[in-house]
Amino acid sequence: MLAYIVRRLIWTPIGLLVVTFVTFGLGYYGPGDPVQVLMGQKNDPAVVERIRRERGLDKPFLEQYATYVFGDGSEERRGVIRGDFGESYKFTGQRVSDLIFSRIAVSAQLGALSLAIGVTIGVIFGLIASTNQGRWVDPLTISTGLLLSSLPVFILQPILAYVLSRQFHLLPSSGWEGLLHPKVIMPTLVMCLGPIGGIARLMRASTLEVINQDYVRTGRAKGLSEGTVRLHYITRNSILPIFTVVGLSLASLVEGAFITETLFGIPGVGRLAVDAFFARDYPIIMAITLLVAAAYVMANLIVDIGYTFLDPRIRLQ
Amino acid sequence: MKLCAVACAALLMVTTVACGGAAGTSSSGGGAGQLTVFGSEPPTLDPALMSDTSASEYVVEIFSGLVSLNTQLQIVPDIAESWDISKDGATYTFKLRDNVKFHSGKPVTAKDFKYSWERATDPKLGSATADTYLGDIKGVAEKLEGKAQEISGVKALDDRTLQVELEAPRFYFLAKMTYPTSFVVDKENVDSGGKTWIDKPNGTGPFRLTEWKKGERIVLERNSNYYQEPAKLTKINFLLAGGSAMTMYENNEVDISGVGINDIERIKDSSNPLNKEFVIAPSLDIWYVGFNTEVPPFDDAKVRQAFTAAIDRDKIANVVWKGLLTRADGVLPPGLPGYNSGVQAIKFDPARAKQLLQESKYRGTLPPITYTIPSSSTTIGPASEALLEMIRTNLGVEVKVQQSEWAQFLGDVKRNPLQNKKNKYQMYELGWSADYPDPQNFVDILFYSKSLDNNGSYSNPQVDRLIEQARGDPNPGDRSKKYQEAEQLLVSDAAVVPLYHGKHYQLVKPKVKGYKPAPMTISHYRYISVE
Repeated sequence: MLAYIVRRLIWTPIGLLVVTFVTFGLGYYGPGDPVQVLMGQKNDPAVVERIRRERGLDKPFLEQYATYVFGDGSEERRGVIRGDFGESYKFTGQRVSDLIFSRIAVSAQLGALSLAIGVTIGVIFGLIASTNQGRWVDPLTISTGLLLSSLPVFILQPILAYVLSRQFHLLPSSGWEGLLHPKVIMPTLVMCLGPIGGIARLMRASTLEVINQDYVRTGRAKGLSEGTVRLHYITRNSILPIFTVVGLSLASLVEGAFITETLFGIPGVGRLAVDAFFARDYPIIMAITLLVAAAYVMANLIVDIGYTFLDPRIRLQ
Repeated sequence: MKLCAVACAALLMVTTVACGGAAGTSSSGGGAGQLTVFGSEPPTLDPALMSDTSASEYVVEIFSGLVSLNTQLQIVPDIAESWDISKDGATYTFKLRDNVKFHSGKPVTAKDFKYSWERATDPKLGSATADTYLGDIKGVAEKLEGKAQEISGVKALDDRTLQVELEAPRFYFLAKMTYPTSFVVDKENVDSGGKTWIDKPNGTGPFRLTEWKKGERIVLERNSNYYQEPAKLTKINFLLAGGSAMTMYENNEVDISGVGINDIERIKDSSNPLNKEFVIAPSLDIWYVGFNTEVPPFDDAKVRQAFTAAIDRDKIANVVWKGLLTRADGVLPPGLPGYNSGVQAIKFDPARAKQLLQESKYRGTLPPITYTIPSSSTTIGPASEALLEMIRTNLGVEVKVQQSEWAQFLGDVKRNPLQNKKNKYQMYELGWSADYPDPQNFVDILFYSKSLDNNGSYSNPQVDRLIEQARGDPNPGDRSKKYQEAEQLLVSDAAVVPLYHGKHYQLVKPKVKGYKPAPMTISHYRYISVE
């Protein structure tokens, strides 16, 4: 078990290094120049050259990559391996780390809140459906869950904004002022719908599998109350797959939700990433790619390890 | 203001919304004297580094320079109370006001300007605007190349006198001085703040920056030490986060909002209560079809004229855009000094267009033509569709369309004589908005044969001569005439097809008084009051 974890942890940085290399190469060889974007339509090749030189963008690919990863020995550029993501091209003078961590925090708060609500509703729907298997409540709950999940953000957002803000002035239409401000309600409402359908189906299927197990019958036979059987015997065992799904989607909290963030004008990491692509702001693109990759690797690892605690039958080899 | 043009380049039109910057204020929670404004996230607030409207909106309120623009776009004294121009037009001597202080209370001297400009032209700073706005000053080129420690042409004669020597007489120099690159910054502030000094700037403008929460809000408060009439507002909150400005306005979250194309007709309806809150301002820009005159078939003026005559510009502005934009006849926008309402455009005339094509050297042998649009959108937009259909119907020419994302478009459309790189496109759509209110910013920059921003490589010796004469002409009336003559020549020559000029459409809550929309970013919040 320990050896497994250590092996995984050793491979992680190597995997991430490959990710940085590929991303860096795509940026270097792809079309578009960050300095020209900064200059806009103002064309002065001499100025472009000068700024490129000052930023080290005129150096050969491998040298730039090495500086990016390992730094150039100065305090200014310490390299990614020392946690220095460099300076943004577009947001002149601002550290990439300052720019992205505050935005990841916003995305993660919104994402976690929505995920928690969505998964809770999904689990409840799944339980209701499974206990009513074969009756009309079963398909009704599952279809409702799927319907909610199928509503695209770009259709829901205008409807909600029109009804709740423009017509009845109940809620602020967009923006962000932290998790405790009413501005958070509408985007959460929209985002929490996503997981409901999938979670409900998964929960229903896994409950139905557990419900007919021998130990459930044994529990009932030895006179345990129905509540105890449901909570400790059925739900605890049927929730395992949900744990996997939720664990893996934790990584997506780092990515942000671009469409929701754009429609609601939320300063999250999704928006920052897309803006950075258009501005060819490579330091930001690199940092976000790296963090997202790291988040997925870590989420996988946590799910794998967590499994062994939740289900002692699973042992990692 | 280039990046503004970028945002607009998607041609999602009515510039206010695309540029975001000029729009919006919020009232929820704000009492009298307070405005909570819908703003865009500035890449930086450093006057020497900023290069677009999303930053200048704040910079012109926090900092100030020798001269500025008033709401009629006239150049007026700011920190300089007066100036003398030498007979040859190459030396400017500015007299500074004696009561100008930084927000901290420290007096501003001529030395501060010298410092600020030398900082802006330090190659290590990497300013993308220093060459354009300070490049006319003697010694700036050497400074930018790292060959000089000082700008030789700038001298602080005493605390209140600044002498500036130019490379040659340039009568648009004062207009350039209104741009923030030349604004004054405090050396102590810059030195002590390190890389992030701009998070706590010590400026001279009518407002102080009191909070900048990245991505969320910027708060400006009144500078009561201001050397001119202090602002009436005590506080402006700029909301950086937010979705549809119109919805926020109608939900009373903002006091001023840009109006998007889809809402304009509703607002223009006089029975709509919002109609009374509606304000229109012109935008100093031009949208055009560019021709690359170095490649077939547009190296032949007849072909360019034929294409121009085949396009019904009036229909594009008034039918496709429903009259929301102004049809352009020339390249100078209305409201710009030197604008000529009498410029003679090539008339829409399908028969003449066909005839011109027959007269051209490409008669019957027209090569395939591709029209490039800078856009990442899924459609090319109704105006481009109409334009291509007009060429198809009226000229019988099938033009291929290609969309190119902005960063790539810039890389392809720009020429680089150093590397012998040419414009890769044949025919393309582009816009240009004013950086400073002078016809030079359009005619000279876009059409002088040696200008690097002359993307189409248009070259006409007559136009060149007029532009060269205008540069050193001290008489504003004569200068304008020369630019207008040059404009007429290049319009007749079909250097480009002028399509339309933008407009800013805005809504302003009745409690906001004294709001005058300006066609350029100028310091204007100090004139506004809220009841």
